[in-house]
Amino acid sequence: MNDRTENLLLALPGILLLGLAFFLPIAQMLMLSISGPDGPTLAHFARFLSDPYYLNILWRTVRLSLLITVICALIGFPLAYIMTKVGPTARLWLVVIVILPLMTSVVVRTFGWMVLLSRSGMIPEILRDMGLVGRSFALMQTEAAIVIGMVQVLLPFMTLSILGVLTRIDGRLEEAARTMGCSFLQTIRTVVLPLALPGIVAGSLLCFTLSASSFVTPNLLGGTRIQVLAASIYKSVTATPDWPFAAAQAVILFVGILLVLVPYIKLTGTRHG
Amino acid sequence: MANVRLTNIRKSFGKTQVLHGISLDIASGEFISLLGASGCGKTTLLRMVAGLESVTAGGIEIDGRDVTSLPPEQRDIAMMFQSYALLPHLSVAENVRFPLRMRGMGTREEQREKVKAALETVQLGHLAERKPRQLSGGQQQRVALARAIVSQPKVLLLDEPLSNLDARLREDMQVELIEIHQRLGLTTIFVTHDQEEALSLSDRIVLLNAGKVEQQGTPDEIYNQPATGFASNFIGSANLLPAEIIDGPQGPVARFDDGQTLALEPQVATRGKVTLALRQEDLTLSADGTGPRARVRTRVFLGARNRYVMTLAGHPLRALTANDLEFGNGQDVTLAIDPARIRVIHD
Repeated sequence: MNDRTENLLLALPGILLLGLAFFLPIAQMLMLSISGPDGPTLAHFARFLSDPYYLNILWRTVRLSLLITVICALIGFPLAYIMTKVGPTARLWLVVIVILPLMTSVVVRTFGWMVLLSRSGMIPEILRDMGLVGRSFALMQTEAAIVIGMVQVLLPFMTLSILGVLTRIDGRLEEAARTMGCSFLQTIRTVVLPLALPGIVAGSLLCFTLSASSFVTPNLLGGTRIQVLAASIYKSVTATPDWPFAAAQAVILFVGILLVLVPYIKLTGTRHG
Repeated sequence: MANVRLTNIRKSFGKTQVLHGISLDIASGEFISLLGASGCGKTTLLRMVAGLESVTAGGIEIDGRDVTSLPPEQRDIAMMFQSYALLPHLSVAENVRFPLRMRGMGTREEQREKVKAALETVQLGHLAERKPRQLSGGQQQRVALARAIVSQPKVLLLDEPLSNLDARLREDMQVELIEIHQRLGLTTIFVTHDQEEALSLSDRIVLLNAGKVEQQGTPDEIYNQPATGFASNFIGSANLLPAEIIDGPQGPVARFDDGQTLALEPQVATRGKVTLALRQEDLTLSADGTGPRARVRTRVFLGARNRYVMTLAGHPLRALTANDLEFGNGQDVTLAIDPARIRVIHD
């Protein structure tokens, strides 16, 4: 028996467990999505892809996820950069503040936002008092509410991914860039950003997949009118028990995420592999 | 090319003051070394010239222009770091082109020509497309040097650039630095803790100790006429021995704590307690003869030479001798030294 087969045998139990835990459910979902009363059918997919209502939900899910990811990156990168420049105590406090949202239950946190964002809540009140918005202004049950709520939850994933990469960048590189004629912002653009890219990519992948498949926050903050795909799947399972259609939607969500992620990884992989 | 003038530079980190008023005039095209032990403030001073460290008090002028409060990118300097600080995501050629690109110097074609010339200067033209991590330490060093000289900066700042290289490469790079300096004539400030490096490269050496200028002068002056005990110990690692100068039968002699005496030059006028600086390489040892006797503690074989560590009047004393001279541990030997080579330092 050579080393290779021996290693394979040793890894086999683990591989089997992974197979059972991950691939079996996915395979079952795939089977379910093409099952019909008269054998295999693509009818569920056809129904989803030909109905503007569902296409709109799909488009909204992708669009909001991208927007949330971009906002997280725009806040997360400067935040992580500042964390690398402050002292250890200040950095610890910033990390605690950033991951604080993850320490509370998603329901509690979301109800908190509902209170703050509701028509008579603090944020719309302040905006109205400052005269920035009209009397009919509302935040609850808008896409803005979903974005606000999701950014808060996902920011730590982005920030900590970038922070991990930034702390490994030699500070002398920035100094060297300054002596070579770069202003502070040019240094960020030509040295720090390119070197932090792996962290930004990792954080973006986390943010995008998590927000595309999130259910509780969009559902509570967006209401029933503004549905995302995960909520639509939930409705298909619970309201009109239609398991094959729910499975078809899940497959579409799965494939949709893959379609976004693969070129993204490819793009950064070839530039920095 | 430009002159650099430092006026009464002070630097404090919090409550600790690391530079106590340093003034220096560096002529255009001069190669000057800031020499000192670690923690003496030499790197801090260099970083202040670069603009990477703020100035607590005092002024910095480059080419007649006050740059004290200018950020580094507006000072027209180039700096070479101990760790090289090559940008890992750029190729060698892109690294060398970086200062040209950032300063917007010339067209793309002109930049390419300059990059090529700079890489030829350091004999790395064939590696232009590699990434820094694919190069050896010595090659990375040359890339850093090419990047520092490519923009023809007014001042070239070198922060211990040779200390990460092995001995052989270091010698090659020293020669290369001398030749490049002769060819380009850049005003160069070189920071090092290695006295040999400073002696072999510089037009002028500034010896720093605890944030102050201990002595400055040409390598020859610094080596042959150290002004203080610190200077003579640091340069040439001379032995420092406390002694008292008294009048002997044939002129002044130095008397050590144990009563042994060593003849001095007749014109030495000082009397009383002093410190004698005796260079290791100036001492000769013999098994017998007249002169102060010291006891051998250890012999260190250095190949071309032997180093003997001895005890004289309770103080350690080191001597460099020919490698065929052999004494055993615990043996008493006689010391001899040309009186003209003894330096008397007033405490």
